[in-house]
Order: sequence, then structure tokens, then C-alpha cells
Amino acid sequence: MSILEYNGAAILAMTGKNCVGICSDSRLGNQAQTVATDFEKIFKMGDKLMVGLPGLATDVITMKELLTFRLNLYRLREEREIKPETFSALMSHILYQKRFGPYFVEPIVAGLKEDNTPFISAFDLIGAPVVTDDFVVGGTCTNNLYGMCESFYRPDMDKDELFETMAQCLLTSVDRDALSGWGGVVHIITPEGIMSKTLKGRQD
Amino acid sequence: MDIATQQEYPGLKDGEISTGTTIMAVQYDGGVIMGADSRTSTGTYVANRVSDKITSLHDHIYACRSGSAADTQAITDYVRYFLASHSVELGRLPLVKTAAKMARGLCYNNKDRLLAGMIIAGWDPVDGGTVYEIPLGGTMMKQKFAIGGSGSTYIYGHVDAAFKENMTKEEAQQFVRKAISHAMARDGSSGGVIRMVVIDKTGVSCEYIPGDQLPFGP
Amino acid sequence: MSELSNVAGAGQSVPADLREEVLSASTTNAGGGGFDFENHHRNARIAAELAKSGKEGTLPRAKLTGTTICGCIYKGGVVLGADTRATGGTEVVDKNCEKIHYLAPNIYCCGAGTAADTEKTTEMISGQLDLLRLSTGTQSRVVTACTMLKRMLFRYQGYVSAALVLGGVDVTGPHLYNIYPHGSSDKLPYLTMGSGSLAAMSVFETGFKEDMEEAEAVELVKQAIMAGVFNDLGSGSNVDVTVIRPGGETAIFRGLEKPNEVSELRKTVERPAAIKVPKGATEILASKFQPLSSLVTVEDAPQPMEI
Repeated sequence: MSILEYNGAAILAMTGKNCVGICSDSRLGNQAQTVATDFEKIFKMGDKLMVGLPGLATDVITMKELLTFRLNLYRLREEREIKPETFSALMSHILYQKRFGPYFVEPIVAGLKEDNTPFISAFDLIGAPVVTDDFVVGGTCTNNLYGMCESFYRPDMDKDELFETMAQCLLTSVDRDALSGWGGVVHIITPEGIMSKTLKGRQD
Repeated sequence: MDIATQQEYPGLKDGEISTGTTIMAVQYDGGVIMGADSRTSTGTYVANRVSDKITSLHDHIYACRSGSAADTQAITDYVRYFLASHSVELGRLPLVKTAAKMARGLCYNNKDRLLAGMIIAGWDPVDGGTVYEIPLGGTMMKQKFAIGGSGSTYIYGHVDAAFKENMTKEEAQQFVRKAISHAMARDGSSGGVIRMVVIDKTGVSCEYIPGDQLPFGP
Repeated sequence: MSELSNVAGAGQSVPADLREEVLSASTTNAGGGGFDFENHHRNARIAAELAKSGKEGTLPRAKLTGTTICGCIYKGGVVLGADTRATGGTEVVDKNCEKIHYLAPNIYCCGAGTAADTEKTTEMISGQLDLLRLSTGTQSRVVTACTMLKRMLFRYQGYVSAALVLGGVDVTGPHLYNIYPHGSSDKLPYLTMGSGSLAAMSVFETGFKEDMEEAEAVELVKQAIMAGVFNDLGSGSNVDVTVIRPGGETAIFRGLEKPNEVSELRKTVERPAAIKVPKGATEILASKFQPLSSLVTVEDAPQPMEI
């Protein structure tokens, strides 16, 4: 077992037309034992920016605190909101600084750029970035998520289509993974704001 | 060999490039000749079949490298740098002995992390043509001739029998060519072409013998 | 003997003396520069616990670029080539990543090995070259880049696993270097690296000629990468090529060849109705909308302060 699979998680980010979505399951486990079903893994990092942190739960929380700290410092120095591209570079830097003693998280960033076009990226635990224009996944059932997304993803979906597609990809994937599930949450980032929806999922 | 001595020297790290090698240098009447094969390998893959293991340290001083490519390159880089500033301070050509002592210092002081067997040779106005051997632990030995690298084990008998003192340049060249081509024939980690560097009072000349023209055989 | 601790960062063990060296050279937190070993002891204990509980496999592996990269010199210039697949274990993590990194306007560098290491190493050296150019006012030389890279890699004794093909053109002409993770380098007219290097090298060994024209060299590099893409499981997707011409001017061909492009074919396939999820199909328990803070007006008028 990898330490990344200790608590279980499934996170997915996907692009649409002038919108972007990021969703996760809600389980916190202690290996096979489910401890909580309302564990937050996606955090708001700006008006149009969110980050998903699949991995070891203790590091998920530490990483969230660390990112919030670095973000506040950025706002203080720059007097502006961070761009998703910049945040992505910052994330990569933070992770690589701990190249020989990493946090066990593989973050996923989703946001809207200044022109409201979508931006998504993913990282391995030492900060190697993956920037794509369709979808990125992370957690304990990436195989399932990749399979679902490869067949369900369509370019230029509107925010409602994006929600449905992402929700179905997530729910179907976690149903075949013992370490993630117990409901989920989908955030759709649009130029007007963030729509968050809690999903009804299997409780087993 | 007990465990303590076995751990004295590091092996190649996983995936590290090695100059599994045949190298040699010989004193002759008026100067030195250095020779080497041209194979560098990673495991069983030949990473470079035309490499140059005879590296310049100064105008009249060269080094033959064997062992880890990274370690020996780092050592020769340092020695080249030290020697350059040393000769500027001195205002004359550095001695081969000085170059060898610099290399020895690095090899000896860092013997627990280096895998480097080197031969330093060249010509200087004080001692003339000189050959120094620096094997794994960082010993420095002045020799009339020296062989090194994995391929050298195959030719100890040959060189002991064939070496003569005060050879002419041509005799010495023949001696080097013959010895290395026989080592290359038997050693899997040596191969390619033979590179040779002749150093005397007048300067340096380089030559090479293509892999299909090796003087192998009696 | 440098004692190897049985613990690891990103699936690797770090010798104690290297750790000390790096620790003493850096501060332990953000902005200090250098690597941060804050979590090292914790991760060591996690690894030890995992090993004790008999669960095989310990710490997670970083993303690797099982790769084919290569380069060759032609008449006055250099051509670099790379595939675009990034893998994590057996999973293809990125189908179209960039492996030809910018170092200077006249120098580029292909990277194989751990993705983060190749990315960050080239990024750092690129920054140092930029500063050097500003202070000397001259064009960067390829040897300089090579020396800086090999010094950095040698310092980390192979633990920063970046295998590089460095190419560029400077005042002294075209140059092509191979730099290995442990810090050694070779200088050759044609080179290959990565898991697909054997396939690519076979193409070079049959097809390489001295003083080729640009088009000829680009074609050869393309074929070499294709050999890697099709014959090596770690390499795949597209062929990227960067040409550095005699004057130092560069041409970047991202996705020069896309032998595995399927999106056009995919468009022609009629999707079953089930693939398109109708609106309202997903059952929702709660829903919340957070409007953009800039679109929100605070209606409460400020109250005057009481004296």
C-alpha cells in the first residue's frame, strides 16, 4: 500500500466553455475503515480559483494551511488576486522545495484565467506539473476516473452540462473504488461565482 | 578481505556511467605517451563509443580517467582549474608532480565517495617526461609506465615482458598500441578506437587508431 | 562510507552526508532557497511503519518521463527532438507534455528521468544563465550551460535524476552535450537518451551523415523519436522538434508529427445517448452559490463612530 492511499480520495477537474469544474468524494478513511463522510478536500484559493488535495489527510490539512499562508502573503505584497497560472507555479515550487522529504499530496488546480478561459493543472508529490486543456484527475481511483473522463468529456460544455458530466464521472468511478466515495461535492467556477453542489452517493 | 575494507570504496551507483576502461601511460626517451580505448558504458549499453578519456590538465600535462565518469570529470575539472591559477602565480609551466599531487589530494580526501582511478602524465622542464599513477584509495606512485582500468588486468604480463627503458618514441608508441589493442580484445568494457597523446618538450600531438586497424596478434 | 539511511524521499534514500550538506546550506522554510528536509524524519518513520506492517511497497514514486529524447548536429546548427508522454508507473499521466526546455534564446535542453527534476533543474539553470547574460552582456555559451548543469547534478550525487540532451549554437558554433544524472557529460555529433534511446540510436547509427541540411536533419530526428514512440512502452504520443539555426535563431515545432492523434477520428464516431448526461440526472442534496466578491455590493452603510 502506498501512503497516498492511506485515507482515500478521488478528485477530478474538467474544463468547459467559460467555466471550469472541480469535484471530490467526501470520505476520510483509516485504510479500510471509514472515519468520516464529510471530509473537505477542495479549498477555495481565490474568487475563481480552487485547489483539490488528494493524498494523506494530515498533509492535505497542512498543505491547505501552507497555501493559505502563502496566498495571504501574496495578496499583502501584490495587492491583487493570484492568477491560476501563477498559483500553479507557486504550487510546483512549494512541492519541489521538499524534493527529498515531500508532502504526500498530489494537488489539482482549477480556475478561470483573467479572460475567463479555463485553466487546470495537476502535480505529482514533488511538483512536476501537468497542464492540459481537457481534464485532470487524482486520488485512489485515477484509473477509473481516466476511463470515465476519456469517454464522457466533450469540449466546450456549458456549466450545467459540465456539472452533470463531472458528477457522473465521479460517482461511477468511486463506486468501483473501496477507498473513496460516500457522496461527493462538485464546484463549478463561472465568471459570476462558484456553484457548489453536494451529491447523493452510495453510502457503502 | 574483511567487511570494513570492502566498504572502504564505493561501487558505481545505480545507472551510473562508467569508463570501464583500458588506460596507460609510458615514459620514453624525451617525453611520455598516453593511451586509452574509447568506450563508456552504462551496464551493458555502450553510451559513447568514441569518448576521449585522455583529458587535458595543462599545456603539457594530461590525465587518463577510469572509474566513474562523473567523479573523474569533476576531479579533472578541479585540477585543471587549480593548475591554471597555480601556473599564473608561478609564471612558468607547472610540474607534472604538482598536478598529480592535486589529483591525489582530491582522491585521497574524498576516497569514501569517489570511484576514480587515474594516471597523470606529461612533460615539465624540471623532471622531463613523468608518469604518476593514482589508483582507487588515493595513493600516488611515480612509475616508468602505468596501466589502469578494467582492461589492464589482461595485459600485466604483456607489458612487464615488453617494456624497455629509454625506448624511442616509435618503440613506445608501438608498446602502447599493442598493449591496448590486446586489452580491448579481451575486455568487454573496453573497445572502440585507441586514442593516444604524445607529450614532449616540443608540445603535444594526438593520434588515433581506428577500430578496424588495431595491431592485434603476435 | 557514506551511510545510506533506509529511508526515502519520493521513493529514494538519501545518504546522511548529503543531507547534512544540504541542510547546512539552506534554511528550513519558505524563501530560504535549496531543498527543505523538514519532513524527512517523519517520512522515514512512515516508511519504517509501512515496512513493519508487512505491506509491500513503501513511499510513493514521483512522475517519471519514460522518454525518448535525442539531438543531432547539422551544417552549423542543432536539432533537438522529444516524445511527449509522461508516465506514473504504468499510467500515462500526460499525453502531450513538453520535454524540450528553454535555457537561453540560443540554447535548449531535452530532459528525461524524474519529471520534476528535469523541469526544475533546467528552470534554475535558465535563470542563472539569464543573470549571467545580464552581467556579462554577451550571448550564453553552450559549454557554460553544460558546466552549470553538470556541477549541480554532481553535487546531488545522482539523487536529482535528470538525464539531459543539451544543444545550442553560440559564437564557437553548434554544440551538443549529453549530461547524465550523476554529473558526467559527453560531447557528440548525435545523441539519444531515455528509455527509448536504444531505438532512437539505431536510427541515427544508420542514417546520420555529417553536414546535413536542416530539413534532412529534422527528418532524421523525427524518425529517431518515432522509433522510440513505437518501440518503447515508456515513450509515446507526438514528436516535438526544436531547431537552433546557425545564427542562434530558433524554430520550435511543437507536435511536428502526431502519429497517434485520434481526436479527428473520435469526432466521426457517433456517441451512444448514455454518454451525454441529460440535465438534472444527478441527484443533489444541497446547493450553494458564492458570487464573485467583486460583484457583491455591501449594502450596510458605515455607521458614524460614537464619541
